[in-house]
Amino acid sequence: MSTSPNDEFYVNYSKMPSSYRWFLFKVIPLLVIGVVAFAWLLPGIHNQFNSGKFQAQSFDGFLVGEPIPHIIVPRPGNTQAGPAFSRYFLSATNKAGPSQKILDQAGQWVTLKGVLVSRSNLSMVAVQSAEPIDPPTGVAEVRPDEGNALGSYALEGEILDGKCYPGIMKPGHTKTHRACAIRCISGGVPAVFRVQNDGDVMYFLLADSAGQAVNARVLDWVADSIRITGEVTQYDDMYVLKADPEGYERLG
Amino acid sequence: MSVGYKSIQWNRQKLIYDLILWASVAAYIAIFMAVTKGIDSNLDIRGVQIRAYGSAAFLLLHVILSIGPLSRLSPKFHPLLFNRRHMGVTMFFLALIHVVGLNLPGLPLKTTGALTWYHDFGNLDPLVSLFVGNSHYGDFIQFPFEILGVGALAIFFVMAATSHDFWLVNLTAPIWKALHMGVYVAYGLLVGHVVLGALQSNRHPAMTVAVGVGLVWIVGLHLLAGSREIKQDKATLSPSDDGFVDVGTVAEIPDNRAKVVTISGERVAVFKYDGKISAVSNVCQHQNGPLGEGKVIDGCITCPWHGYQYLPDCGASPPPFTERIPTFDVRLAGDGQGPVEDQRIFVRAIPNAPGTHVDPAVI
Repeated sequence: MSTSPNDEFYVNYSKMPSSYRWFLFKVIPLLVIGVVAFAWLLPGIHNQFNSGKFQAQSFDGFLVGEPIPHIIVPRPGNTQAGPAFSRYFLSATNKAGPSQKILDQAGQWVTLKGVLVSRSNLSMVAVQSAEPIDPPTGVAEVRPDEGNALGSYALEGEILDGKCYPGIMKPGHTKTHRACAIRCISGGVPAVFRVQNDGDVMYFLLADSAGQAVNARVLDWVADSIRITGEVTQYDDMYVLKADPEGYERLG
Repeated sequence: MSVGYKSIQWNRQKLIYDLILWASVAAYIAIFMAVTKGIDSNLDIRGVQIRAYGSAAFLLLHVILSIGPLSRLSPKFHPLLFNRRHMGVTMFFLALIHVVGLNLPGLPLKTTGALTWYHDFGNLDPLVSLFVGNSHYGDFIQFPFEILGVGALAIFFVMAATSHDFWLVNLTAPIWKALHMGVYVAYGLLVGHVVLGALQSNRHPAMTVAVGVGLVWIVGLHLLAGSREIKQDKATLSPSDDGFVDVGTVAEIPDNRAKVVTISGERVAVFKYDGKISAVSNVCQHQNGPLGEGKVIDGCITCPWHGYQYLPDCGASPPPFTERIPTFDVRLAGDGQGPVEDQRIFVRAIPNAPGTHVDPAVI
């Protein structure tokens, strides 16, 4: 057997044989098309982009420190058909609850400056500062602890943090977000229970049966599919699900 | 081939290779981000880069792992093989940016990595949070997928750090090769990282199908290429009483090419060139490339992977290079009546020390 005239051989420091060159002219464009195709298709099928919004804003309202830091803000206009107040729970601007300096002003009216973070019907405020103000006139009496008991429910959903979920995270829930949510909740950001019924999503702040914060006790349950059976109480436009974490049930 | 080590040794093909590689990576990241922005102009897309860089690294790893078996199946893929290390190092940096972000002074491209994005700004050091945030180490489904990614990144770091020929020579090719086989462990870890992470959060079937097809492609390609090698190794030849093995006729070997035979479990490349026959180990000293698939160029056996060269009669690289491979004694046998092409080639089963001169068998 003798050498074929087409016995081409590739060495990277020599001129590339023509058959190799033509082969690469076919293969490399295919690879580039693959690169473009994946770059084009993947963002679409991720489809988990948070629609959260941010807005620097100030609120005049009544500051509540315990068990879940929040601010009660009079709703403008005619409120006879609904709650007279809106309640926004609070965090710091990082993965933590509001600073002690802010909480020291609990129990009084304040002008609170921060960033309103909202995603669908879940809104909270990342607080930057709070200054005491005189109570406004012509506003209904504030009753922080007075809620409307809606009864006992068994709800299935997922625990997430109240700040990064409505904020900039993508998707802000499920397993890829677990570590972030754990940092937030262990730092003092309120734990929120997300319940989805078909297309509707409802959010419940979590408290134990005594109405106390549960942050440290729910960390192992974050981002998992779970069932919580407890009492739902409505405080103005805020819903609180009261149940001891020991009774949470993991699903699947 | 090398005698000394410069930081970078470029040639035209390497430059073209790297330009295409980096342009493709840049195009992927740019298109990924542009398409994301196009989904909704009001969308806050901070953090999406984490996905862009992570998926780019994962895709590039599939290309890297495909080149090896494809080259075993067709030499036409060798131009993609010779500079694969630059692909590997590029892939490592993509994975690193996925984790720690990119924020170099003077560089306009700035992005936040997953470590900062998910673990920073809290009540623990981000590195501590990475390992203790999700503590379900004993559960398969809940397992902290991030740790699998950390393991893969550590392997990629070791591979990237030792990718230069300096390490190849000083660690020796077998150890270097074994070390770099860690890429398969890293691939397994990354598949776990994606399946237990991104795929748990994103249930779009196309994502699952894409990862599954990638896995089947990589495993299938390696099985296909491996089965050929196994078939060849199974046809191992055993020596006769005089220690020589009949490896076939002169006619079976094209000029300047080799026939690869397995003698007592070792692959031997039997070359025909200039009317002579020489036999050497099939294993290139550089990266253990298959010398028997090489060619005699300018009187030297030339490795198909990176062009390392050896003199056929002594297994030594031409001076000033210093690589040496084992040689084998050869002889020809025939009745002297028929055509020379029908002469049979006999190779001694026991190799000579690397670089030992052996008189070629003259046809």
